[in-house]
Amino acid sequence: MKRALARNSPVDADLTPLIDLAFLLIVFFVLVARMSGEQLPAIPLPAPADIAATPAGASRRIAVNVLSEEGGAVLTLGGERFAADASGLDRLASSIAQRLRSEPAMPVDIRADRSLAYRTVEPAIDAITAAAAQVGTRVTIRVCALQAEGGTP
Amino acid sequence: MTATRAIGGIRVRLAMTPMIDVVFLLLVFFVCTVRFERNEAVYTLDLPQRGRTADPLALQERPLVIRVGARAGDGVPIDLHADGLRERPPSFDALAAALTRVRRSTAPDAANAGLFVADHPVLIEPASDCGWQDAVDAFNAAVRAGFRNIGFARSGT
Repeated sequence: MKRALARNSPVDADLTPLIDLAFLLIVFFVLVARMSGEQLPAIPLPAPADIAATPAGASRRIAVNVLSEEGGAVLTLGGERFAADASGLDRLASSIAQRLRSEPAMPVDIRADRSLAYRTVEPAIDAITAAAAQVGTRVTIRVCALQAEGGTP
Repeated sequence: MTATRAIGGIRVRLAMTPMIDVVFLLLVFFVCTVRFERNEAVYTLDLPQRGRTADPLALQERPLVIRVGARAGDGVPIDLHADGLRERPPSFDALAAALTRVRRSTAPDAANAGLFVADHPVLIEPASDCGWQDAVDAFNAAVRAGFRNIGFARSGT
């Protein structure tokens, strides 16, 4: 696609590389936004048979992940790992509180492996309530599950 | 790469390279943005005051308590109790049915006149060895039954 600037002018603007570059930049920014937006590890979430939950949607959220690993349960938040002991949970609560201070209306989601026992997920709930107490605001806490394939609740 | 063809004496030049560039770009874009995993759904949790003093002036409603035990074989011990109610549903479907039965319907012509309104607090009390899947199944049963004020209690023994 070429466009002459003036009649009989030897100068012309080639628009094709410009459009190529524009597309490249769009793809780059879309991918970067997806990578930096939320770091969600693949977790086998609970999958109730006749699910009555609402779809999570694409809105921003704080996702606390509870993973099952060989050494026991590990909690993660935005790529940062926390041990399931007292100091780890304190650090997790401070990290959640820091995020809540910048966006108090953001929901906090618990994404826990379905194979874990409740006692290993409970510290994550405690850390979120501790963070809410630090910030002094009412926080929306949500539990994540998997929707049935092709089904809508 | 340029394909040149003469049509009716007019030379038409078709530049293939930018077209292939754009096609590849679109391909990369769709490969990167498509998601094959199942969608996530969420339950909003209503937590009781943990470790904090409750408001002494607030009216205390005794919650409907669902105790979920550790899985033994194929079954999970479920214990549903509240004032004037004590049931042991054999499955989560039966739990949802029992909760639906005790919930008071707001519809004027509804047949069920249960004891508890939809906003009545429901507290799920999983045992410490109870699986997270079973705890969420109990939560799901309460949501299915139409209750809206559901929370997790501290784990029992």
